[in-house]
Amino acid sequence: MNNTAIPKRLRIQSLQDVRTQMAQYDLHDLADFFMLYESKNQGMEIPSLFARMEYHLLVMQESIEKGLQKPNITKSGLIAGGASHLQQWLRSGQYLLNPVFTEVLMNTLAVSELNACMGRIVASPTAGSAGVLPGALLTIAKHHHIPKERVVRSLFVAGGFGEIISMNASLSGASHGCQAENGSASAITAAAILFALGQDLDCIESGAAFALKNLLGLVCDPVAGLVEVPCVKRNVVASVNAIACAEMALSGIRSVIPFDEVVKAMDLIGKDMPSSLKETSLGGLAMCPSARKITQSSCPTKKDLMKE
Amino acid sequence: MIGPSSSHTAGAAKIGFLAQSVLGKPFRKVRITLYNSFADTGMGHGTDKALVGGLLGFRMDDERIPIALDLAKKKGIEVSFFCEYDSERHPNEVRMELYSASGEILLTISGQSIGGGAAKIVEINGTSVWFGGMHDVLIIQYQDVPGMVGFFGEVLGDNKINIAYMDISRDAVTERAMAVLKLDQYCPENVVGLIKQNPNIIEVISIRRLSEQYSHT
Repeated sequence: MNNTAIPKRLRIQSLQDVRTQMAQYDLHDLADFFMLYESKNQGMEIPSLFARMEYHLLVMQESIEKGLQKPNITKSGLIAGGASHLQQWLRSGQYLLNPVFTEVLMNTLAVSELNACMGRIVASPTAGSAGVLPGALLTIAKHHHIPKERVVRSLFVAGGFGEIISMNASLSGASHGCQAENGSASAITAAAILFALGQDLDCIESGAAFALKNLLGLVCDPVAGLVEVPCVKRNVVASVNAIACAEMALSGIRSVIPFDEVVKAMDLIGKDMPSSLKETSLGGLAMCPSARKITQSSCPTKKDLMKE
Repeated sequence: MIGPSSSHTAGAAKIGFLAQSVLGKPFRKVRITLYNSFADTGMGHGTDKALVGGLLGFRMDDERIPIALDLAKKKGIEVSFFCEYDSERHPNEVRMELYSASGEILLTISGQSIGGGAAKIVEINGTSVWFGGMHDVLIIQYQDVPGMVGFFGEVLGDNKINIAYMDISRDAVTERAMAVLKLDQYCPENVVGLIKQNPNIIEVISIRRLSEQYSHT
């Protein structure tokens, strides 16, 4: 790495800035750039940043294992051990496509259900979307025999894409809807997968852009205000979307709209979204008759009492 | 972090943790007002447990967060929750009032959870502030007489502590001022002692940045 002329702090506002600065500072590896960015801006040495990311990877792996140890059932009962069902289904050999695909679904669900039960996960980028990155990336890494060091590096790429989204739009369902959580999770996962597979920035950008585009407009309307329905299963959709988009990019398809513009569009859509569809449980699925019944029986907050 | 929601659980835990860092001493009672989305969906996300866990000094990946309410009860801390709607406030905002055993109010503090587990403190004892644990922080309350900013600025400078950002404000009634300084270096106890030597200084609280003491999972 040629460190000459790299300033004390690195500032980026877009993926385009990343591209420009990589050329300017003669950096050829996206993970190297994001590690340097983190190191400069957090005042931490790269080895300790790397060790911290290794620990995050370990927690991700543990969250898959813990999520599969026993059926995870939430207090509300809305989530009742879906990962365990998939585990048995996988063992029965009746999968629709192939066992690895079903494993992606199972691992994603495992982490997402563990999260719903207040277990320990890595927010990636949020807790509500925490199943996507481990479920898709770690399963692909396992089956493609990607070395651990490269997986850790690809997590820095995921983090960098998340940083760009958070600077230009949002990662919060309460402020920009589910597109900001599962949409962002899917985009950073597609980026991480493509980096792990050794792809260049153009390919990575297209995969991430596809993934975010496909989930634009997704609202946050959790039943009874719980991160359970529809959140947990949307993690699975975001995982599968990330893989589908990564594969399209791998085949050479390129996004018409650059990643930065997709992020901007997400921001504008989020701002146009009514607050009833931004984690307030005042619209969408949360207002279905069945959902309202669940709200009344499972968690009487002050607002629900006022409604009666 | 501990789920299920980075903004409603982890961010809340961080606000609780920052609040007890700002207080810096024990408390026996806390009144917690949840606003907007925190009020709407907070209970389902364990916001209550996370805030109290943070107030007990738990980090956001502490597996005791799910049982924080019980642990607070065991410690003899009285916790009450209120819900309010205020479109002027952030969707995920909380205000906490902390009391001593004798019922004396020790601190009022408001925080916002801004997504992905990030959070910031926006109000202390009625004064607007802005810090989120990325810097070392120094909060100085003092009688508003000329030269105070110069005084503590010089003490910090003499001890090689750099001020990155500073907010100062004054309470019109009490004529007490408060400065919230974001620092590049942590202000150690001996330097806090030097600042406290000035008779116009009322209180000095030094808070270490979270990245050195707080997990990021």
